[in-house]
Amino acid sequence: MKIVLVGNPNVGKSVVFSYLTGYTAISSNYPGTTVDILKGKTRLCNNECEVVDVPGCYSLEGESVAEKVASEIIKSKDYDIIFNVIDSNNLERNLLLTLELLALRKPIVIIATKTDIAKNKGIDIDYDNLSDILDIKIFPVVATAGIGFSVLEREVSAVFNNFKLPVPKIEIPSDITEKWKMIGEITLKVQKIYHKHPSFLERLEEITTTPVTAIPLAFVLIIISFYVIRFIGEGIINYVFDPLFNNYYMPLVDRFSSFFNEGFLKNIIFSKNMTPLEGFSVLTTGIYVSFVVVLPYVFAFYLILSVLEDIGYLPRLAVILDRLSHKIGLHGYGSIPLIMGLGCKVPGIFSLRILESNREKIIAASLLFLISPCMPQSAMIFAILSKYPLIYTGIVFVYIFFVGILASYVLNKMLKGTSDDLFIEIPPYHKPVFKNLVFKMRLRITQFLLDAVPFVMGGILLINILDIFSILDLLSKYFAPVLNKIFSLPAQTSSIVMLGFLKKDVAITLLAPFNLSLKEIMVSCFFLVTYMPCLASIFVLLKELGKKITFYVIVFNLLISLIFTFIFSQSLKLLF
Amino acid sequence: MKTNLAKANNKKLKVVQINGGHNILKKLNSMGIFDGSLIEKIASYNHGPVIVKVMNSQLAIGRGMAEKIIVEEV
Repeated sequence: MKIVLVGNPNVGKSVVFSYLTGYTAISSNYPGTTVDILKGKTRLCNNECEVVDVPGCYSLEGESVAEKVASEIIKSKDYDIIFNVIDSNNLERNLLLTLELLALRKPIVIIATKTDIAKNKGIDIDYDNLSDILDIKIFPVVATAGIGFSVLEREVSAVFNNFKLPVPKIEIPSDITEKWKMIGEITLKVQKIYHKHPSFLERLEEITTTPVTAIPLAFVLIIISFYVIRFIGEGIINYVFDPLFNNYYMPLVDRFSSFFNEGFLKNIIFSKNMTPLEGFSVLTTGIYVSFVVVLPYVFAFYLILSVLEDIGYLPRLAVILDRLSHKIGLHGYGSIPLIMGLGCKVPGIFSLRILESNREKIIAASLLFLISPCMPQSAMIFAILSKYPLIYTGIVFVYIFFVGILASYVLNKMLKGTSDDLFIEIPPYHKPVFKNLVFKMRLRITQFLLDAVPFVMGGILLINILDIFSILDLLSKYFAPVLNKIFSLPAQTSSIVMLGFLKKDVAITLLAPFNLSLKEIMVSCFFLVTYMPCLASIFVLLKELGKKITFYVIVFNLLISLIFTFIFSQSLKLLF
Repeated sequence: MKTNLAKANNKKLKVVQINGGHNILKKLNSMGIFDGSLIEKIASYNHGPVIVKVMNSQLAIGRGMAEKIIVEEV
């Protein structure tokens, strides 16, 4: 038995999917979170069923790649039943796709989500009546709380076990205007909207959409986020992790090291200098950098990003940035890959699919690598600059942003064609659901621990070995002129630049033990963020956009990075 | 009085014509903007996107596209 989950973007398909399969699909409050096709097994009805989460689409005639993928799957009819997920807050708009699906004459049931939110807004839908009119089963649910699924499970099982899947019989007009007319008549019969005083969230929606208030608020919000991240990160470090490390962990390591005789093995494990951040010991510096310096900031960053995501603020940011995006050759939609890239480049690259032209994809991909440091990177920039006033962290981020904009402006002038217009749904604000938040944080932090921590440890071990064999000095001598003359960076950092090729997102932390000056840290942060995409994203980029474009993007990246690192280091020299 | 959506006041409006190619028409139609549909303009950014309420949802429409949508006040 094969089930396809079909619905408009942002109706909560991913939540329904997670619920049905127990799989981990990331859901947020903005359209287009799912662009890849997710598959999972569900044990609805004691049958082994396969569930396919199709990317969101407004209609089967959509033009974007994600929509085309969706419509291809749906039109192939290679499945047994459609679960059409609709948002109760938006019955009318959602019904267009429903009618198109009904016209396919495949078995179908409707899952109506967000029924709790709709009720609070004064939207009263008579689901039984709607079910009678459309002649199919409708299951109202609150997916985030799992309400309504037991009925769904029971009834769907009954249907599956009878092998009599409900095929719709209702007559559907083929013309789209006729369809809208039909929808208008249906909604009139089944939906009543009571006027309610605008809730706090609705008033907030208003002031964050009206330009006069929205633009200054966006600035304030970004600055506040900066401070909150620093506050949370520092708090965890100073009051929890640092004391734990110094009071409990270090004595253990000290005792452990006393079992070893002086010599090669001891040097490899404990390095010549065991003090964290001074030597290259995996057990001290490795652990300290991964857990004490960076993890608290990763946590703080993901917390803020996840909250903003779930509330639904990010599409509004896309609207505010639209004019700027246009100047650099993207429409506001282009900011979605960039925003997703703030988490990790890989989903960012996947979401390039929502862009229609190759031209926009190239610009967005280049910008993705230049402008938005991914979450581990951002966290590490915060961490490594945490002993200085916040303004320096701000300067690094603003400079990265500025260079990204400039580079993309140039790219826009170089590439022929114009960019498409913004066309995006702005979701209503939702209260973040605690469960969803915890789930997302857990997923992302686990990813960090599995992905980044082993690399940091391995990197530090490797540098230590290079140090022991004096290869570090050799490398330094070799690269010294380049790094020194062009970027005014100390020669030892060359080993990090090289390691950065493998996994650049965490390379920045490896700078910690080198005792760099503020200026040097700022310059190397910029360079390490921009000089090259990380290995994982290069592979995904190859898969998504092909060899040629990937090559151009990388070369363009490196070029911009070299030029602007030079400018950055020179101007910092002039400034202080 | 007929005007385009970019220039119209923040009010309830009726779409009378869409001056766009096949693609734009399809996009707008699938979101509920078609000849005769009722929409409400709620905000507009200087040289930037226009925000409208269509049915029960809010849409941000880029300036260029908004200029192609001809509306009249109701």
